[in-house]
Amino acid sequence: MIWLKTLPIVHAQRLNAQYTVLTVEDKDLAAASHPGMFCELRAPNQEGRQFKPISIYGVEGTRVSFFIKRVGFGTKALCALQVGDTLELMGPLGNRFPVFAGKKALLVSGGVGYPPLAWLKANLPDGTTAIHLHGGASAEDIFACDFCCTMDGSQGHMGLVTDLVLPLIQEHGINLIYSCGPVGMLKKLTELSGNIPHFVSMEAYMACGVGVCHGCVIPVGDGFQRVCKEGAVFDAKLIDWGQL
Amino acid sequence: MMKTKLGRLALDSPLTVASGTFGMEYFEIMNAMGAPILPQDKLGAYICKTITPLPKAGNPPPRIYETECGMLNSIGLPNPGLQSFIAEELPILLERLSIPLIVSFSGGSVDEFCMMLETLEKAEGIAGYEINVSCPNVENEGIAFGADSDVLYQLISRLAPLTNKELIVKLSPNVTDIGRMAQAAEAGGASSISLINTLWGMAIDWQTGKARIPRKVCGYSGKGIKPVALALTYQAAQAVSLPILAMGGISCWQDALEFIYAGASAVAVGTSNFTDPSAPAKIYDGLLEHLKAKGSGIKDLIGTVS
Repeated sequence: MIWLKTLPIVHAQRLNAQYTVLTVEDKDLAAASHPGMFCELRAPNQEGRQFKPISIYGVEGTRVSFFIKRVGFGTKALCALQVGDTLELMGPLGNRFPVFAGKKALLVSGGVGYPPLAWLKANLPDGTTAIHLHGGASAEDIFACDFCCTMDGSQGHMGLVTDLVLPLIQEHGINLIYSCGPVGMLKKLTELSGNIPHFVSMEAYMACGVGVCHGCVIPVGDGFQRVCKEGAVFDAKLIDWGQL
Repeated sequence: MMKTKLGRLALDSPLTVASGTFGMEYFEIMNAMGAPILPQDKLGAYICKTITPLPKAGNPPPRIYETECGMLNSIGLPNPGLQSFIAEELPILLERLSIPLIVSFSGGSVDEFCMMLETLEKAEGIAGYEINVSCPNVENEGIAFGADSDVLYQLISRLAPLTNKELIVKLSPNVTDIGRMAQAAEAGGASSISLINTLWGMAIDWQTGKARIPRKVCGYSGKGIKPVALALTYQAAQAVSLPILAMGGISCWQDALEFIYAGASAVAVGTSNFTDPSAPAKIYDGLLEHLKAKGSGIKDLIGTVS
């Protein structure tokens, strides 16, 4: 079930100059949301502007949160919203991360790829353990995780998350990988993951968010698949990374 | 009050949806929500996404980019091809629609267009056709026929004798003289024209110097193109007596009304569906209220700009 609603913001937390967490309250949306899904969001008074696809960061009771990075016009308007303001929402959209019992999972995120994996980590089935490795440009991009990297060395390992992947796989006997982040990171991670099952949440420019416009496709197999409809979560090995 | 005519089709409403902007996925949302996003009593007809003879995967990503006042797209007509459309999609569309279905199609040669029309004529339930000769995002289909008035005339004059149903020719705005193109469609035997398809558009990332869309130049639609679309609607209306289905940046009932004044007998909502799938219904309601207050019908206002 997909809803198109205008909802009041019940909590707004500015994490730093770049990132804001917005929370809305809606029992239908909360009940239908699962890790890996996203919503199309739009601030009010954005007539003619498109919705922006934003991952669901978490659900607590009937409250649903979104972790938003200021990037362009639409996300800047969203990040400026306060408690009591409303936002327009369409969702929940897309598929969800497949989960398996009794696995040792590595969650790898980069930048604003953080939220879906942070929520997934809190919702893994009993008996599945997870290590969350997160990276960004600098300390401002780092949030609660087990291991972190920054490009400028301001927090954690100086360099890329992919520098740490192989040692973590070996040390912890990783047999499942989830990821979300920049294409370069995901491509490298797919090479490194070898035969380990690897599920990736993809990001794309979107217009409709529900499969109508075919604007958000990525190359999968011998054709294209819509990130909004067949994804956003894909088996990383089915994506034709060479074309991205 | 809202009744209008588009060539051979009598429509209960002047509103429709532009090809490719209101897929069946919205129908699913509509059904799931119980409250109809596409109230069919408010739409005069439904136009489906363009079909080509063979399946097409579409263009490589990224395919879209939002600009200040609209969006760029280079979708590239992905579709299941004629045979799958007839076997799989058409029955579902017909089952769900209670309004006339107009099938949009394109081809790579005059013979292909004719084969498409002959094949579609054998299927039941189709009320009319929109001949897409104006997609800016494919190499071989469409635009090759929509950029030259003689070529367009040759194509339409071959197609027109093959059907008694509504035959709409969708024109490109990327031409020097829209009037000549409209006249070529009329002389060829079209029963109406629709315009505009997307304008040429481009966006570049100034930080990297890379085009935002790999095809570089692609189609531009949305709010920003409305003045261009209005002007071309007006110019086409001056050039031919064919009814016009107009579109280009329509997002509210006032926009729709402006196109009717410019010469449109019917109007389509396109890019606005992506920002609000209930836009067509809202436009219908606003237009109806305005006409009631004014005491006029759509037909009284078509082309009466002063």
